[in-house]
Amino acid sequence: MNTTFFRIDLMRQLRDYGNLIFVLIMPTTMYIIFGATQSFGDDPAGNANVSFYIMASMAAYGGALSAASIAGTAAIEQMQGWGRQLGLTPASGRRIVATKVAVALTITALAITFVFVTGALTGARADSPSVWVFTFLLILGGSSIFALLGYAIAVTFKSDSATGIASGAIVLLSFLGNVFTPLSGTMLTIAKFTPLYGYVSLARWPQLEGVVLNEGSDELWLILANITVWIALFAALAVLGTRRGRQRR
Amino acid sequence: MSTHTAVTLSGVTKTFRTDGGTLTAVDGVDLTVNAGEIVAFLGPNGAGKTTTIDMILGLTAPVAGSISVLGTTPRKAVQAGRVSALLQTGGLLHDLTVKETVTSIASLYRLGTDRVHDVMERTGLTRLASRKVSKCSGGEQQRLKFALALLPDPDVLILDEPTAGMDVSARREFWSTMQSEAQDGRTVIFATHYLQEAEDFSERTILMNNGVIIADGPTAQIRSIAAGRTVSVVLPPDFDATTLDALPGVTAVHRNGDRVVLTTTESDNNALHLLTHGARDMEITAPSLESAFVQLTSKESQ
Repeated sequence: MNTTFFRIDLMRQLRDYGNLIFVLIMPTTMYIIFGATQSFGDDPAGNANVSFYIMASMAAYGGALSAASIAGTAAIEQMQGWGRQLGLTPASGRRIVATKVAVALTITALAITFVFVTGALTGARADSPSVWVFTFLLILGGSSIFALLGYAIAVTFKSDSATGIASGAIVLLSFLGNVFTPLSGTMLTIAKFTPLYGYVSLARWPQLEGVVLNEGSDELWLILANITVWIALFAALAVLGTRRGRQRR
Repeated sequence: MSTHTAVTLSGVTKTFRTDGGTLTAVDGVDLTVNAGEIVAFLGPNGAGKTTTIDMILGLTAPVAGSISVLGTTPRKAVQAGRVSALLQTGGLLHDLTVKETVTSIASLYRLGTDRVHDVMERTGLTRLASRKVSKCSGGEQQRLKFALALLPDPDVLILDEPTAGMDVSARREFWSTMQSEAQDGRTVIFATHYLQEAEDFSERTILMNNGVIIADGPTAQIRSIAAGRTVSVVLPPDFDATTLDALPGVTAVHRNGDRVVLTTTESDNNALHLLTHGARDMEITAPSLESAFVQLTSKESQ
């Protein structure tokens, strides 16, 4: 990794206020509205309380959003000729990708931390510190699924609007995936096949160990199967989009 | 100046798959550029210039033939910083500042701040250091890309339409910087749309069309391919224009409104003849690279 390159790219992302508002402020604000200010916030839920549940959900949403938008902009940059410029330097493609991943992880970690700190200050409680740590790490690691989605959308649509499409897709999939309002009945059954469901269920595992807030519970293998299938699908879309993009040149 | 070769292409072919079949962008090109040469690469859009340049830089691989740059492969020459390029349009991040752009590319070459300052000074970017790339004019962006190309202090410098989007004074300023950079035995290959730039700055000109090299030689020689001179006059209304073709030495007659342009090998005789028959506002010009270019490329497409 190249620290100068990392620092400049990170600063650049942090100057993009429009994107920062979406990635950092929105999830935190939504947590405050739907979590911190609710009377049932302190009710117990698994190994933590309801506020913690809502905080983890919003952080998962923010993490997915951040990963998708950074991967999307990275793909657009490559297509707009920056990739050719970098191709003229001694730096290998792998080194540049590694730096970019480090930038994406830093910002995503920042987005999650924002929600977590707000949560800690406003009544989110867990039975042990390990619940906090594992929840954080699962959200950060799991967000990379949506980096694939953001990348796939960018190479398919090939314009700046791709980031908007990716953000919109994440919001919609969050509703469908039981991230925001707890679903039940048919909606919950449908939700189990959508990509955000597997991710957010894994993020809630340290707290709920598979219990679904309204009804029933999920086995770990079901959650992992959901994640595996969606990773495969997004990766296939990304490869397909990249190939089509190359041919058209 | 040493006489070893900087760039060698032999039998280089590149094809692209398109919806309608296969497109041959570069078709069996043989080319040798010696160290220290300044070479202009001319050709219309789609001639294969950019594809050829991409292959010399190792950005794409040929489907047939071989390329050697400074005695090694293109990719190794690039990695060693011995060859670099100013690429055509795009290729900059709009939300970086000028200095950030130079610094980040310099870091990939493992170059320090001294080199960054030095290159920015030489390309006149110092006063633009904190300006966002998106706020720079087309000419300033090209200058920034030129600075990036100079960073590794390359032996071979390739410029793909370096003055695209510049006004006349920016173009002049750019070439004066370029000339001082080319003085210490650096090999420069540049592609351009502006024939004047080839006439002014290159000792050697290569004309490319439809993926093949159609002419390669000293710029003055390429220019003389368009034989003869042009005689341009305004004829009186009673002049019988159909007799012009029969005049001695005339190879072509073109009409431009009330003006007639003759291409001829006997301009003096024709001029005398026309003036005595009432022609006025006469202009006689020697062939330009442009006319050689038009002649060669139109011959090629027939």
